[in-house]
Amino acid sequence: MKAMKTSWADEVDADYVDGLPPDKVHTDGNFKYVTEYKFNEEGKKVKVVRTYEYKKQTVPKVVARRRNWLKFGDSIDDKPGPCAQTTMVSEEVHMVFLSSKELEQANEPQMEPGKKMAKCRICNGEHWSVNCPYKGTSMDSKTLMESKATAAAAAAVSDTSKTGKYVSPFLKEGGCAINGINGSTGGKPWDRERSTVRISNLSESMTEADLEELVKSIGPYSKLYLAREKSTGLCKGFAYVHFKFRQDAAAAIEILNGHGYDHLILSVEWSKPQP
Amino acid sequence: MRPLMLQGHERSITQIKYNREGDLLFSCSKDQKPNVWYSLNGERLGTYDGHQGAVWCLDVDWESRKLITGAGDMTTKLWDVEYGTIIASIPTKSSVRTSNFSFSGNQAAYSTDKAMGQNCELFIIDVRNADSSLADQTPTLRIPMTESKITSMQWGPLDETIITGHDNGNIAIWDVRKGQKVVDSGSDHAAGINDMQLSKDGTMFVTASRDTTAKLFDSESLMCLKTYKTERPVNSAAISPILDHVVLGGGQDAMEVTTTSTKAGKFDSRFFHLIYEEEFARLKGHFGPINSLAFHPDGKSYASGGEDGFVRVQTFDSTYFENIFE
Repeated sequence: MKAMKTSWADEVDADYVDGLPPDKVHTDGNFKYVTEYKFNEEGKKVKVVRTYEYKKQTVPKVVARRRNWLKFGDSIDDKPGPCAQTTMVSEEVHMVFLSSKELEQANEPQMEPGKKMAKCRICNGEHWSVNCPYKGTSMDSKTLMESKATAAAAAAVSDTSKTGKYVSPFLKEGGCAINGINGSTGGKPWDRERSTVRISNLSESMTEADLEELVKSIGPYSKLYLAREKSTGLCKGFAYVHFKFRQDAAAAIEILNGHGYDHLILSVEWSKPQP
Repeated sequence: MRPLMLQGHERSITQIKYNREGDLLFSCSKDQKPNVWYSLNGERLGTYDGHQGAVWCLDVDWESRKLITGAGDMTTKLWDVEYGTIIASIPTKSSVRTSNFSFSGNQAAYSTDKAMGQNCELFIIDVRNADSSLADQTPTLRIPMTESKITSMQWGPLDETIITGHDNGNIAIWDVRKGQKVVDSGSDHAAGINDMQLSKDGTMFVTASRDTTAKLFDSESLMCLKTYKTERPVNSAAISPILDHVVLGGGQDAMEVTTTSTKAGKFDSRFFHLIYEEEFARLKGHFGPINSLAFHPDGKSYASGGEDGFVRVQTFDSTYFENIFE
């Protein structure tokens, strides 16, 4: 006999273990629903409903007998049916079927779709310029030629025309400062007829063939001189190129000055006369 | 498909095997407790508690009564499958790398590692009336392996021979009556054999090797029939019992796993056509290399155990069976 009538809310609460409603198992035809309540990591109450389907299967007698074996070891306390701690159903996965074409693609290294690849300065390919297969070849200087062609043309013309563009002192009409310092040819620019350029900041591994490759697309030349260390035979870091035409020499300065070659930035200027 | 994920191990899986009917799935790992699962719903039936080191190998006899395991604690143990109790614990002089029941279940073979000054040795024991006295009995046969240690093993047809795969890539057949080498494959594989699994009828077997290939061999002559090439070490390979398919599992070396993304690690199960040697499908899942693979005896599902410690049971969709190889 109850001494005092409590509110229904208190009664419900009293059944709760640790403030959680008890687990419920509900069977409906071939389906079993297991409802559990628990606290998640953030301390909030979570209701977990698992749905199981009963399926009938005909199996060999030995297999049916094994189904009734008692659990043992670490599973001794587990209830019948899969235990949520040890058995999970993973996310949906799909078998990827490959045709021979797809196979080739699948073997290629996968790129992050969001990340953009580097663009090559030399061939516009999808790689860094350093890794370009055309690096150091004629294509290397050719594309640069194209990009700087207008600039080069302007520079050649600027011999006579006055534009706002910077023009090397040697190219300027009416002599230059160095001319005055040297005083070599008395008023007449000493380098009027000269068409030699000095290429410096070359790498040690530079050879004559490389140099030829570099300049032959610019214009005809009469002589190449690559300074080498006497003892080692390695490039000293600079070279002289005698072009047949002065315009070509000017173009070479325009194109190659500041151009990356090997791992260095070339510096190209008019050759200064020996004092 | 939605694979079942079986999380009963704390460390990487070393081997998984189905029993003959395929209703039970056994798994062992570098932790000390081999597990047994119902393959249909992934329910864990129990754990076999008693080893004190990494369990390297296991095998179940054809009646699913006895289980043999070999471990790094320098014992090989026979278990009662139903109750999880130890029938016999046989001490060895170094860790046990492979263990197999013969087809009849009358005999069992196990091999030890070449370690701690001990040579690799192959033992054959009679397990017909196995009890705890087995520990003191002398093995029926001992074959010392002088060349290279055994890394995988299978019984040959009619329990007359044993096929061994070695750490240097060699494969050999041994006569269990004479204790002599009968056939030697020579150097078909350039690096160690990680796994060998027989086809359903036992006439062929597939090897998985560290040299990034899997190969199909004739079980009698050890003639190499087919080669399945990949880019990573192959840890396990299995032949489908119903279709001309081979599934390969592997990935890069375990020590490099942390430095590679899952995408680039190639931890997929890879399906090759048995005859055309061409890969036709892949299935993702593990986030570490796959260490062991096993086909369900009905060929409609397969299980994989990985370095990540999970066993995944994948049941094939209809697309797998409809896929006609071009």
